[in-house]
Amino acid sequence: MYKLVFNQMTQKIECVNKQEGNFLLSIPFDPDNTDYQAYLKWIEEGNVPTPAEENQ
Amino acid sequence: MTNAVALAQGASNNVTFRNRIINGAMVIDQRNAGASVTPTNQQYTLDRWYTGVGQTSKLTIQQNAGSVTPPAGFTNYLGITSSSAYSVTSTDFFYVQQSVEGFNIADLGWGTANAQTVTLSFWVRSSLTGTFSGTLRNYSGNRTYPFTYTISSANTWEQKSVTIAGDTSGTWYTNNNGGVDVGFSVGAGSSRSGTAGAWAGAAYYAATGATSVVGTSGATFYITGVQLEAGSTASPFEYRQYGTELALCQRYFLMWANGSGNVGLGGYYNSTYVTTSIAFPVTMRSGPTLTQTTGTNYYGIYSNNTLDYFDSFSSGIQQATVNCAGVDCSTNVSGTSGSIGRIVSNAGSYIGFSAEL
Repeated sequence: MYKLVFNQMTQKIECVNKQEGNFLLSIPFDPDNTDYQAYLKWIEEGNVPTPAEENQ
Repeated sequence: MTNAVALAQGASNNVTFRNRIINGAMVIDQRNAGASVTPTNQQYTLDRWYTGVGQTSKLTIQQNAGSVTPPAGFTNYLGITSSSAYSVTSTDFFYVQQSVEGFNIADLGWGTANAQTVTLSFWVRSSLTGTFSGTLRNYSGNRTYPFTYTISSANTWEQKSVTIAGDTSGTWYTNNNGGVDVGFSVGAGSSRSGTAGAWAGAAYYAATGATSVVGTSGATFYITGVQLEAGSTASPFEYRQYGTELALCQRYFLMWANGSGNVGLGGYYNSTYVTTSIAFPVTMRSGPTLTQTTGTNYYGIYSNNTLDYFDSFSSGIQQATVNCAGVDCSTNVSGTSGSIGRIVSNAGSYIGFSAEL
């Protein structure tokens, strides 16, 4: 459902992607972002995102 | 009345930014440009207007649905059309609402002994008559004021106003969280409905016993001219210039590309990684979510005398702030490391940034 994204420039994971219908959402790790809040809630429920690929 | 008094009163009515609602005249529709939407729960349709649906496919929402003449002085409205004759269950809810950012109600003093009275006014038209309802609710969803209003004549625009004493209890955010949710119900079950005319310590979406628009196939509910202001009197609707209203909307959603066009300047960070930086025209409420469509050759970069197509910004949004973000691709691109280029979008593409509440 969610897939972590590796940033080649910073060598960090700074967003997570989610396919939603016809749209690909890319959600930054900003605590004020409501999509990120929903992602954190999903994690709290015991879910695990797809790991990032280093060449992504 | 002397001219001086008349001028003073006129000036009072023209105090700008007294309306806490953004896009109350339903002019801005960045996402759908007037197209009909069958919304899922929590989906935004017209700018700043969010839909709550306990069941999908029971209604559609469209700017200027049905193409009726708006009230005098308006050119647009938000139109809801019932898709079936649906009997709501006790837990169902169907509504449109706007979450007003906490910064924009901070002066009202809600949650304190100095809570100010507000007045909500709007134009409404329905194919049904009877008692309709809406709610004011805090963002935490544990303080709600259900209200009712009457539509007397079917298929006729009527202006309504409701005056509400500010809530002296509860938590009301005064920052970039949601301040107050202003909602209009088109159907709700008994457990989602509360007694009209009083604050309650619960999350309600309607007043008990109100008309269910979704209960009649083809029924319509149109609304525009929504204004929430301090005080106990509804003043004339505050018109704002289009550019101002659009900028207010763009704090929460920015349509950057929709179909063929220019995206911005970018380049190859390395031979298989394209990056671009997009500066938002308005400071957004939060670091935004990038929303994009994906498909074969939806995007491309002109660089080194060639056009290198790619299907999506697969690396998504990077190092996002409220003012600027990187938007990157590392799939299906091949170029010269260090080359700059101009990034373009093609038919079917869509790039939006959302910092909605």
